[in-house]
Amino acid sequence: MTSENIIETQDLSRHYQIGGNMVKALDSVDVQIKRGEYSSLVGPSGSGKTTLFNLIGGLDRPTKGKVYIDDVDIAKLDAYELAWLRCHKVGYIFQTFNLIPVLTASENVALPMIFAGKSRKERTEKAANLLKTVGLGERMNHRPVELSAGQQQRVAIARALANDPTIILADEPTGNLDLNTGLEIIEILRKLNTESGVTIIAATHDLKIINVSDSLFWLRDGKIERTERKNNSNREMQTTS
Amino acid sequence: MRKSRRLDAKIELPLSEAFRISLEQIRKRFARSMIVVLSVALGIAFMSYLQMTNVILSAYMKQEGVVIEAYQSWLVIVSLFVCGVGLVNSMLIATYERYREIGTMKCLGALDQHILKLYLIEAFLFGLSGGVLGFILGSSIATLSSILQLGLNALWRIPLLETLQLLGLTLVLSVILSVIATAYPALKAAKLNPVEALRYDI
Ligand SMILES: Nc1ncnc2c1ncn2[C@@H]1O[C@H](COP(=O)(O)OP(=O)(O)OP(=O)(O)O)[C@@H](O)[C@H]1O
Ligand SMILES: [Mg+2]
Repeated sequence: MTSENIIETQDLSRHYQIGGNMVKALDSVDVQIKRGEYSSLVGPSGSGKTTLFNLIGGLDRPTKGKVYIDDVDIAKLDAYELAWLRCHKVGYIFQTFNLIPVLTASENVALPMIFAGKSRKERTEKAANLLKTVGLGERMNHRPVELSAGQQQRVAIARALANDPTIILADEPTGNLDLNTGLEIIEILRKLNTESGVTIIAATHDLKIINVSDSLFWLRDGKIERTERKNNSNREMQTTS
Repeated sequence: MRKSRRLDAKIELPLSEAFRISLEQIRKRFARSMIVVLSVALGIAFMSYLQMTNVILSAYMKQEGVVIEAYQSWLVIVSLFVCGVGLVNSMLIATYERYREIGTMKCLGALDQHILKLYLIEAFLFGLSGGVLGFILGSSIATLSSILQLGLNALWRIPLLETLQLLGLTLVLSVILSVIATAYPALKAAKLNPVEALRYDI
């Protein structure tokens, strides 16, 4: 009954009016993201990657066009349903992390679980596990200012996983990481994708991420320039060898 | 589809849990919180001082049968405004500073009512503690200065009931103003797109 596209956009546009100028941050974008795929969004700085993520994730309203998640037009959701979507369905890894400065790493990771109604015990246990997964087991009680950019990025990744989302929107998830940590993060995302079937969309310049993706979307000046889909069986062979 | 979605997982924040989180937030921003409480307390102290002096003087006049130069009641009204504006101002600023935080919470699935709960509990506690502190400060100074002016006699003549009434009114005023001055910007932030709230500059 559910279609194979978990996310679909139609004529999606986001324009900004600045003075007399109109900036078309996103201009009539049609993308289809298949359920369970690992997609990459590639494009130069300012091409509209973050803008597209914000719209897909229901964090911003389009000027024009539609976003469908599981065949539901998200513009038609009420406040409760939209919050539900952000809380349970989508995990965001922000380019700017958006960690809360007064909270420790573990409290930041636990925050989405508060809104999901999890008990205090559940929250701390799960936050600890997630931080261990991203290699920050030793830094749980540190606040963001006491962490390096790469460590903050990993806290942001752990937080995105807090409520077991079915979609992860990752805006430059390896942007601040060294080669090895970057690889570890890619490995974590990859594992979530293959083992739990989580749909992952990552904005990136990182060739390592591009290599593991099923689909590639090339964005330029707010438009989709090119779409590439890799052969699935082909990928399986590559990863197993 | 809508119905099943509501059933398979919840988003809620019980009041007791919100209370614990708010207390933690206050503790974590202790210095910041104390500044807010103090600025609330100072406004309230100024007002309580004038009102308490009024209460003491009028009680003294009635019982001793003497007339002291009429106390300027307009000053009490002015102090009410000064206190109100100062209090509202500090609570507004304290909340505007946290727009990014509100935006982040919205992105992570907070409902408007979650945000209001967390922020209003804080505002309630600030208003209450600032009110108590301010009243103690203001009425003590009023009592001391009356004693200096009129001798210890003034102290025995302080009407307990009226003092308690004054305390009650002061606390109600302090709490209500704090809550309103927080609810307004917090609700405004919660109603924005999360992305707008994240980008918000005062
Ligand atoms: N709030 C805003 N007001 C005006 N213009 C904006 C706003 N947000 C984004 N833009 C514009 O939209 C365009 C796309 O921005 P976006 O942040 O989506 O780019 P990006 O692909 O994520 O870039 P980067 O790789 O540097 O993160 C840019 O030209 C930017 O100037
Ligand atoms: Mg970006």
